[in-house]
Amino acid sequence: MASQNIGQSIPRIDARSKVTGQAPYPGDLAMKGMLHMKVLFAERPHARVKSVDTSQAEAAPGVVAVYTAKDVPVNEYGLQIPDQPVLCGPTLTSPSGRGDGVRADIVRFVGDQIAVVAAQTEVQADAAVKLIRVEYEDLPILSDPVTAMKADAPILHPDRGDSNVCVHYKIRKGDVEDAFAKADVIVESEYHTPVQEHAYLQPEAGLSYIDEDGRVTIASGGQWTHADRAGIAHALGLPEEMVRVVYPAIGGAFGGREDLSVQIVLALATWKLQRPVKIIWSRRESIIGHGKRHPVTLKAKWGATKDGKLIAAENEIIGDGGAYMYTSNKVLGNSAITSTGPYFIPNVKTDVYGVYTNNVPGAAFRGFGAPQALYMAELQVNKLAEKLGMDPVEFRLKNALRDGDTMGVGTPAPNPCSVVEVVEAARDKFGWKKKRRPKAAGRGGAKNGLPPIVRGRGFAAGFKNVGFSFGYQENCWAKVEIHGNGKIEHVVLHHASAEVGQGTHTVMIQMAAQALDVPTNIVELKTSDSATQGNPGSVSASRMTFMAGNAIKGAAEAALAKWEAEERPAIAEFKYLAPRTTHMDEETGFSTPNFAYAYSAQAVEVEVDTETGHVRVLRVVAADDVGKAINPDLVIGQVEGGVVQAHGYAVTENFITKDGRVLTDQFSNYLLPTILDIPEKVETVLVEVPDPNGPWGARGVGELPFLPYAPAVAAAIHDATGVWINEFPFTPERVLRALGKI
Amino acid sequence: MKPAPFEYHVPDSLEQALALLKEHGGDAKLLAGGQSLVPAMNFRVVQPGVLIDLNRVSELAYVRQDGENLRIGAMTRERTLEIDPLVAKQSPLLEEAMPHVAHPQIRNRGTLGGSLANADPAAELPVIMLALGARLKARNVSGERWMEAHDFFSGMFTTALAPDEILVEIELPPDLPHTGWSFMEVAPRAGDYALMGVAAQVTLDENGRCRQARLVYLNAGDGPVDAKEAAKILGGEMPNDDVIEAMAELVSRKEINPFGNIHASSDFQRHLAGVLTRKALKQAIERAGEDGLQ
Repeated sequence: MASQNIGQSIPRIDARSKVTGQAPYPGDLAMKGMLHMKVLFAERPHARVKSVDTSQAEAAPGVVAVYTAKDVPVNEYGLQIPDQPVLCGPTLTSPSGRGDGVRADIVRFVGDQIAVVAAQTEVQADAAVKLIRVEYEDLPILSDPVTAMKADAPILHPDRGDSNVCVHYKIRKGDVEDAFAKADVIVESEYHTPVQEHAYLQPEAGLSYIDEDGRVTIASGGQWTHADRAGIAHALGLPEEMVRVVYPAIGGAFGGREDLSVQIVLALATWKLQRPVKIIWSRRESIIGHGKRHPVTLKAKWGATKDGKLIAAENEIIGDGGAYMYTSNKVLGNSAITSTGPYFIPNVKTDVYGVYTNNVPGAAFRGFGAPQALYMAELQVNKLAEKLGMDPVEFRLKNALRDGDTMGVGTPAPNPCSVVEVVEAARDKFGWKKKRRPKAAGRGGAKNGLPPIVRGRGFAAGFKNVGFSFGYQENCWAKVEIHGNGKIEHVVLHHASAEVGQGTHTVMIQMAAQALDVPTNIVELKTSDSATQGNPGSVSASRMTFMAGNAIKGAAEAALAKWEAEERPAIAEFKYLAPRTTHMDEETGFSTPNFAYAYSAQAVEVEVDTETGHVRVLRVVAADDVGKAINPDLVIGQVEGGVVQAHGYAVTENFITKDGRVLTDQFSNYLLPTILDIPEKVETVLVEVPDPNGPWGARGVGELPFLPYAPAVAAAIHDATGVWINEFPFTPERVLRALGKI
Repeated sequence: MKPAPFEYHVPDSLEQALALLKEHGGDAKLLAGGQSLVPAMNFRVVQPGVLIDLNRVSELAYVRQDGENLRIGAMTRERTLEIDPLVAKQSPLLEEAMPHVAHPQIRNRGTLGGSLANADPAAELPVIMLALGARLKARNVSGERWMEAHDFFSGMFTTALAPDEILVEIELPPDLPHTGWSFMEVAPRAGDYALMGVAAQVTLDENGRCRQARLVYLNAGDGPVDAKEAAKILGGEMPNDDVIEAMAELVSRKEINPFGNIHASSDFQRHLAGVLTRKALKQAIERAGEDGLQ
């Protein structure tokens, strides 16, 4: 029989343990004899550390150890480049003599760490941290990337060149000047997108210990066991085999756990003391201590002909990278790729800059640079359609990327390209009709003529790469064991993928069962351990279903061959290598940056209270081409969760900083949407245009539903009020100011 | 997120509670519903040496009619005010305001007396007490005294209660005939502290002229803000759009003093005060007119 494990909404394998509270999260872990750790954060955006005096803390009750910069063997880390000290202190070079590329005596943002205390109890550790005396010399604060780009700005990383610009990508395709001369309509605008906090339920936490083989082991939340291990081993000056990373249950990630937080200092203390150590960050520590979605300023000039063809796009995008690189180089590369939207534009000139500042670092966050660029691209498209008197959906269909069309980077997206399919699916489900009535645009009209409550509808599209980009040889490992005699009785799947709540473990079991033609209930998963499993890559870039699926298929096929050759048990490993991609050319951006994409479109209806400025989203239709929904309910969960998270980004959240300091550092003033604030109705349309390289055709889904939401809401607010709002979140006050009411 | 150490007492009666309060005085905090105090303790914004838990003082939880007045015990839960038919009958303004108080889970625990004694300028209940002309009774070991709501609130998170006094009862007078009411507020998210809010009571005479009006605002100053000057404009007048507009202008420009916060400027709060004044007055006047006038 051919089993039907794919396309079935089987219950999550972790549902029971999570609902009943049995699943152990990092904060739940405990070990006999464990110590408790607290961190001294710098709490200042830019300063030189002149001295650190830990003598009082060391003498405090219960304190076992206090560590500072001088204790970190290789005092540097960073997922892309090691430009961040593990601990900041008046020590220029690492004790090992290695890793002196980064100046450790400079604090570059409020979340830089100065010292850690390990004590018998958490209260004792907390009390001792307060006894550490640090002498600082405050330095000028760079809180704005445009200022930081100026020639006379102080340089935050002098060892990395004489500019704060840490990223610059160029795309040059065709001749934009010539095209603008031929354009019948041109739209120029400047946009600004906000910071966003990941706000995962579980703040950073972990337990470190020495395992039975003498390895320093860190149990914490993360997204990529093997990358965590590499970063920890580097800073401790240990071979990777001496470091083990395991993941217990993880309370959300969204990109915010790609970069290390508690892991290195935990490992440091455990390695030195040979004792278990535990830490839990408070919510405030989490908010100041981990990276955020990049705030971005985007300038766009786009032209089209009167028959509705896009002919030119010129963009300048400046992303605030904050104090350290984290993944800014990749995030902003993705902003470059998506800066033309999912459209064919023959002439493109895009410049993308990433800039070091003294803000909390810009980091990975669901969408990874695409939400910012697409806010610009989608509003440009909506504005051009309006100027041409065309329906925005019709305009999109006219310009949608189709198979063979070149993107901004000069090469086509891999076939099949399904922009048309998702746009049509969203249009049809929503019941989108062409424009009913012309609306008086502009401030004056809005102010004088609007009733108290107005409604409008908006449309936007988006796309996102699946898998890592820009020449990285994408790979993913899996191992399959088949047990039984005459027939397959038991299957063990080994795969280190992080289950961050998205459901990847359930989907992997379904894929293994399908590949072996067995029921899911005989498949056991062993997971999330860098010591016993190969490298899975990160749960990011919407990649894990695609990559793990291919790895599992390969391992299952190899194991089945051995099974058929009578091997008992039949065991096989497989490392899937995805199609090659290339770097962006430095001058033109010419490249094949990705091997797969997924596409998304949304139509929304909003209600705007023109007296109070409140925006309510009444209805969202989200069409996402996931290639193949392995588990449709889990896909719908991703879509609804993505829409809700995007609603926070677009409407309620409003992360506020001042001179490098975070003002919204608690959930009491960082306004996540509640069940009472989110869209009243979210309808998911699953589009399934198979990717030829995807397992069973699957593409990816994690980031897709986030992408079109903010521009769709902006377009709907415009439809309701006649006003374009180029900066969000659409807080009541911002909406009223745009309407000219205050 | 744990409070500083404190000594904990759970008296079973008001007499015991008063004695404990006399003993510990300024070092003690009274725990009513705990919906503001406990988070403040957990954040260590407040670190009382002694906590006197009133939740077993059942004699302070009641709603009862006493002649034409309604008497409400200070430990009455907010949820009770929301659903009690006596409250609905005596004071539709209070009933209408209740769903705006935080979230249902908070109203299940939060108490009337706790909210009033906490005197948060952004809270709904102090504003309602002023608008209704409530009287508040305090007790200490040696006796009791009554205060007008106006005299009870003395500033940001401060009241006229002495360190040895417990707020024990709230007395609501009946509405005059031909009285209309309205409560409206605007919050960033559902259930948040409001950026601005207003309680309006308007009483008309037999001819439809305004006999008496009251407008009280929340988050508009360092306590509930009674807009007396604006209310005077309406006195003796036939309500109309021009009068309402003049009132809204006066309130939003002069009578309130909102501070703004990181999410909302004071200009925005003033704008909201104008919007809410117009809407609430119209609703209150309409309701007053429904009560048997021409």
